[in-house]
Amino acid sequence: MAANMKAVKLRIKSVQNTMQITKAMELVASSKLRRAKERSEIARPYFKELYSTLQKIAAGNTDFTSDFASAATSEKVCYVVIAGDRGLAGGYNSNLFKCMEADSKGKDYSVLPIGKKAVEYFKRRKVEIITEHFNEIAPLNIGDCFEISNLLCKEYKDGNFGTLRLVYTEFVSMLSQQPHAVSVLPLTDLVGEEPVEPVKNLILYEPDSTEVFDAIVPEYVAGVIYGAVCDSLASEQAARRTAMESATSNAEEMIETLNLHYNRARQASITQEITEIVGGAEGL
Amino acid sequence: MTTFPLRIGTPDGLLFEGNVERVMCRSITGDLAILAGHSNYCTALGMGAAYVVLEDGTRKDAACIGGMLSMMDGECHLLATTWEWADDIDKDRAEAAKKKAEEILARDNLTDKEIRLAEAKLHRALVRIGVKG
Repeated sequence: MAANMKAVKLRIKSVQNTMQITKAMELVASSKLRRAKERSEIARPYFKELYSTLQKIAAGNTDFTSDFASAATSEKVCYVVIAGDRGLAGGYNSNLFKCMEADSKGKDYSVLPIGKKAVEYFKRRKVEIITEHFNEIAPLNIGDCFEISNLLCKEYKDGNFGTLRLVYTEFVSMLSQQPHAVSVLPLTDLVGEEPVEPVKNLILYEPDSTEVFDAIVPEYVAGVIYGAVCDSLASEQAARRTAMESATSNAEEMIETLNLHYNRARQASITQEITEIVGGAEGL
Repeated sequence: MTTFPLRIGTPDGLLFEGNVERVMCRSITGDLAILAGHSNYCTALGMGAAYVVLEDGTRKDAACIGGMLSMMDGECHLLATTWEWADDIDKDRAEAAKKKAEEILARDNLTDKEIRLAEAKLHRALVRIGVKG
């Protein structure tokens, strides 16, 4: 009995230690989440505005001389996949990769992973990676997004891929984060998502559409990536917070049942001792 | 004067939303101004001084660096990489940035990338000083 008691006691101790860690992680994630959420909320109007403006332009565009505006020339797809740097965030990373797998099924593709988990994942699967340079998502700022965007636009212009898609986790609320795959390039891909008006309004491009697209598309890609990075960061922290919160409450539950076991074992050993004493006294 | 809705957005948030009489900024080919009733229009922005004239006729200056301007169905969207109102510009900081960029450019054996970065920095600093000045 004494051995059993000791084992239960040790187990309680270890669960308590784990709980301390999950509790601390939850608190850290909460405070990081607050910051990430603020950043995401600040960037969101720009991101939405940018996307809808480009959508309108794409819908009204009648001039397809620019490489960015014409239909895809190559079958190949490039994915920008934004995942987290660390695990222990519930299903955050795996849900994203599942979404990515579903979207890329049967396609010939290369990836530009952002975040350590994404880099590791695609390296393991031996997928063609454009650059591993962006293996940390946390310190990524708008300047880095421009760097990514310039790189992608150059690859696109060289004809290394014909479609650019972005896979990221949308921050819906504190409790819900939804992985998404959205089209970024070519601009003709944006049209399908909005009803096309039968009469197209002509747009005046100055100086001409090729130059305008060449200048605004990298900005647009950078802006979209930045918005997605902000959203993904907030999602990651929210997912981690939820995961750690449930881990902490699970630990509490475990400690409760273990305490019950411990008390029972203690009670049993006391009863046994008494029986032994009484038995011994009778024998005298 | 007739006004039109304008929205100015940057990655740092939506900086302006409301009706204006006129918006002036520098595109990649030169200065342009948009008035109400402009036809559908789209251009890329360069670096330069910009201003908007509000409904009550007051003029607000700003430094605008990169981005795009689109006028679709009477609504104007100005999405800039950075847009700073003249009141928010820190002149000392801009002067310091200008000096630093000039120092870098004065050095020898720079790589193309370094030159480009320094030139962009200098350009931005000059725009800010120009707007504030």
